[in-house]
Amino acid sequence: MLEFVNFYLIPGLVLGSIYALGAIGVTMLFGILRFAHFAHGDLMSLGAYVALSFVAGIGFPTILALPFAMVIVALASVGIDRAFYRPFRKGPTIIVVIASFGVALMIRSLIQLFWGVEITSYVQGIQRPLVLFDSLRIAERHLWIIALTCVFVVAMHLFLTRSRLGKGMRAMSDDADLARVTGINTRAVIAWTWLIGGGMAAAGGVFLAMDTQLNPSIGWNAILPIFAAAVLGGIGKPYGAIVGGLVIGLAEELSNYPWFGFDPLLSPGYKSGVAFGIMVLMLIFRPSGLFRGRVL
Amino acid sequence: MSLLEARDLTGGYGGMDILKGLSMTIEAGAVTVIIGANGAGKSTAMKALFGLVRLNQGSVHFDGADITGAEPETLVRRGMAYVPQERNVFPNLTVEENLEMGAYTINGDLRPRLARVYDLFAILKEKRRQPAGELSGGQRQMVAVGRAMMMDPKLLMLDEPTAGLSPRVMDEMFDSVLAINDLGVGILMVEQNARQALAVADKGYVLASGSVRFEDSGAALLANPEVSESFLGG
Repeated sequence: MLEFVNFYLIPGLVLGSIYALGAIGVTMLFGILRFAHFAHGDLMSLGAYVALSFVAGIGFPTILALPFAMVIVALASVGIDRAFYRPFRKGPTIIVVIASFGVALMIRSLIQLFWGVEITSYVQGIQRPLVLFDSLRIAERHLWIIALTCVFVVAMHLFLTRSRLGKGMRAMSDDADLARVTGINTRAVIAWTWLIGGGMAAAGGVFLAMDTQLNPSIGWNAILPIFAAAVLGGIGKPYGAIVGGLVIGLAEELSNYPWFGFDPLLSPGYKSGVAFGIMVLMLIFRPSGLFRGRVL
Repeated sequence: MSLLEARDLTGGYGGMDILKGLSMTIEAGAVTVIIGANGAGKSTAMKALFGLVRLNQGSVHFDGADITGAEPETLVRRGMAYVPQERNVFPNLTVEENLEMGAYTINGDLRPRLARVYDLFAILKEKRRQPAGELSGGQRQMVAVGRAMMMDPKLLMLDEPTAGLSPRVMDEMFDSVLAINDLGVGILMVEQNARQALAVADKGYVLASGSVRFEDSGAALLANPEVSESFLGG
């Protein structure tokens, strides 16, 4: 039982939190701008590497580097939107989607150029896990990841339900044309969606790098489960993205648990297949997702 | 001076011109009605006044300023409010959030504005925490009109406010529109129930193929045999 909690449930929650942070941005951007942002994983990578500069360069603890990475990537996201997506917004959506592929490649190449291609990590050496109640082993970084994700989710909920801008964001996600004729400042809403989506992505990227190691493809490799989480939760639904992220993260980890006998149910090599499988099943049987989002 | 003056509007969507030299004058505080056959360009004319149509030619002046091609956000600030015909509420937002969106450009306390809308449509106060998507057609229309009233506009533009409503709800909606007009708000309405609309109109425009065929007081248009025969079903 404790083995299940320590080695499957907690890692599943951690991975789920990371996917949720990525999927929030993907789903909000889709809701408002109607395009699948394929560079979102690479925004996560960028966040992870910006934090690395603060950790390795200045000597900040990782958690202190996190807010800097979030702000920098948030601003970079707005810049990327202005430079590469906004000029194509009036045309067919597919142009923006392809542009986001290009941006993904650009970010990854820039990371390789500035930070190198080697695998690295924030902290060298072995980190001992905390032991709670004599037997519950949880790594300190995992505690941080889960706790901070909860903080971000609550903050986002308050923002979306209490602030004028957050309500405007939900309104625009409901009906962008109506939002415009109603007098909502749609440009500001779009900019703030990028700020929040980019900031959350950076946090997800830093958490992913804390949990494993940094490499320039770290975020790109997470884009499939993140899209799966967004589809599972319902496209355009931020709360759905959170639930979807947690479900996908847990499903990936729990699929390796020896449910029957002593062998893992599914070999760890097939982890990413789990997310893909869930996404395909959802698209076939319930394309609006758990939270009745938009049908792609 | 008139509240709104549109001169020689020509334009449409894509490459097609739907409006062909349309001119209109709207007086402050008046009820103005646009009628015409399907495809005459009624809705397009209203959208053109609100800057939602590509114009090749013509100009729109509102309250002393040239607003040709201005952004909706600017127009809302200046005192215009537009309620589209379909999909005119945010279904996932609550009734109250929908109303708040109408005053998006306002910094500060919205409660007095909300209270005024709830005075007009008492049922909305009861339902204020309910998502607008769950309301009946008539109540949604109230939300849409209420949202437009949040900025206390000088001109309220309604694109077929009674479309798809049952006769009883339709009468209620007409009464609400007149009640709003009594507050001093000018009304511009596109209506398919031409007789009922002209009966309350200070001024009516009859559109045909993208330009004005007749313009006169509502009563005069109702009495005009030519209008009656061609546009009011005899």
